[in-house]
Amino acid sequence: MMQQEYDVVVIGAGFGGPVAAKKCADAGLKTLMLERSENPGEKVISGLTIPVYGFLFGPSFIRDGNPPIERPVDGIRNYVIYNIKAEDIEIVEMRIPRPLSPIFAFGYNAYCKPFCTWEAEQAVKAGAELRTCTTAIDVIREDGCIKGIVTDRGEQIRSKIVINCEGSQGMLAVKAGIRGKYPPQAISLADTYDYECPKEVIDRVFGHTLRFCWGFDELKIAPPLGHGNGLMAWPYRNSIHWMQDQCLAMDDGQVPNLRRLFDEYHENITTQLPWWRDEIAPSVKLRARMWEGFGIYVGLDDKLRNMPNFTDGMILAGDVAGLESTGLCDGVPTAWFSADIAADVAIEAIKASDSSAKFLERYNRRIKAHSITQWAITNRGRWNLRKAQESHDRKELRARINYQFGPGILTHAGTPLVKSMLREIRKDPLVMRKWARMFLRYYYNWEHDCSSQNKLPGRHKKKGSIGIGLAILDSLVIVFSPINWAIACLLEPLAGAVNLLIIAFRPVVELGLRAGIKMEPLFDPFCRWMIDSVKQADPSIFVSGSSGRFRGQPHKARVFPS
Amino acid sequence: MVRTSERFPGVEWVGDTGVFIKIDEKRCTGCGNCIKVCLGCCFEIEKKLARIKSLDECMECASCWYVCGEGAIDFAWPPGGTGYRSDWG
Repeated sequence: MMQQEYDVVVIGAGFGGPVAAKKCADAGLKTLMLERSENPGEKVISGLTIPVYGFLFGPSFIRDGNPPIERPVDGIRNYVIYNIKAEDIEIVEMRIPRPLSPIFAFGYNAYCKPFCTWEAEQAVKAGAELRTCTTAIDVIREDGCIKGIVTDRGEQIRSKIVINCEGSQGMLAVKAGIRGKYPPQAISLADTYDYECPKEVIDRVFGHTLRFCWGFDELKIAPPLGHGNGLMAWPYRNSIHWMQDQCLAMDDGQVPNLRRLFDEYHENITTQLPWWRDEIAPSVKLRARMWEGFGIYVGLDDKLRNMPNFTDGMILAGDVAGLESTGLCDGVPTAWFSADIAADVAIEAIKASDSSAKFLERYNRRIKAHSITQWAITNRGRWNLRKAQESHDRKELRARINYQFGPGILTHAGTPLVKSMLREIRKDPLVMRKWARMFLRYYYNWEHDCSSQNKLPGRHKKKGSIGIGLAILDSLVIVFSPINWAIACLLEPLAGAVNLLIIAFRPVVELGLRAGIKMEPLFDPFCRWMIDSVKQADPSIFVSGSSGRFRGQPHKARVFPS
Repeated sequence: MVRTSERFPGVEWVGDTGVFIKIDEKRCTGCGNCIKVCLGCCFEIEKKLARIKSLDECMECASCWYVCGEGAIDFAWPPGGTGYRSDWG
């Protein structure tokens, strides 16, 4: 059988794989990315809000690019359902108030296929080769070291390093003996629906806020019966993504009849939940139903968390390395961070002509030193929420939801976020200009549907007030960059105290958030002016850095080599 | 060859996947866990043992593999370019 040689083989063109492939290709390495589906992302199923920290602190080509997004998100509205028939429902909300929202977003909703395709296109443009319809089924091992992979067509593809981004099941990593099969208690099955819905209905009912629902078991209106999530509804542009997910097994190992229960939950909640029944149901049409399993609690178990994420000749990144968030339940930012680090280590290893496990161990060290990744995979907030459900204590349930999906999240997310922010400013004091432009560009993209294949963006010439504002920001950032750098260096070691500070001043912080939301109507004229200014601005002012001009080109699927 | 399902709109199944999930009859205890978690109804019990009924609506989630405590289920990805796909995931 014909043998092929590459510097790096990346397995998977989901969210993480293209990040690793692009970085390796940018470094001049001969890089091959393998994808088992015909088009990137078409086997990826998720209810997807990518938190903003993934964009701010993740790969620069995503931050500075124009990926296809479905809607900017400003926060979460939780419905704590005590008795659905009596409509005994409490709301716990955490969101960025207007006028910051919706331009300065908490995250961005996206469909997986266009987003992964866009990422893969960037890797291909950088020089990586993408081979679709190809499944990696085994590794080539020589003297204990992985030297490449074997495809389902029997091809042997040799490489100096393999970066494995195959996804949560990790079939190749298990087969290669690097990782083991997770227990069913650590896996959640996500039953996912996609509903078409007119944009004006979504704008009116959801705005830019996600809606989560939580209830006690006996109501049978939202999982979990064991651990897992409740009902989550994501507003997209012209559709609502809707997911209920539940762990495959209870604490005692019992496997619930999910086939029956999911149908029951779905029927109950769509007919009884007041806002869905009255405001959404009359306007929606089911477009798709699908499901996927994901490693929801891998990071909470010492044994699972400490499974190897590298071996001689191979590095694992993203879900296959057990990096799905146990708190917010997303895997994209950690896939981006880890794929970026994996590429760095692969480049260093190839330069040093050393792909031994001893050399690659630095990957594990860097993952463990990554503040957001470690916070994401060790957070017990969601796990503890189940305990509150079991206790049937309303106060406890409300407090747990507040802690994980309400303002309480700041008490544990503050330190990792501030630490990452200071680290980025230390590395590049001008990065704040890129962050501001990212928010504005993404919002422009969303307003004009620049990622759509059907519409061209508006052609505007005005720099307007936003242009003047950016010019002032640029001047300030440039003038103060030495001071910003010094402050970042000084404060970074002290960032560990941020959570403690937020805890100490929590009543003030929560009061501030509530006051911000209460005062929103006062700022509405300013908010509308901001939105109009961004919509009508010349999009070239949103380009980060001096290279290239943002033309808002429509997203277009391309044919990949196969 | 592209197949669709009335139960699962918005999803297509492409090409010939072959039998990519296998059950070891010697290990199967007939507990039925695979049936409980499979939303695609791929399994059935026959003579007190699980067997593959049809993989036509399998979405390759591997839940059956996770819940089989006896290790009786062998799960492998179907050949490249085959199996489910969706624009709406």
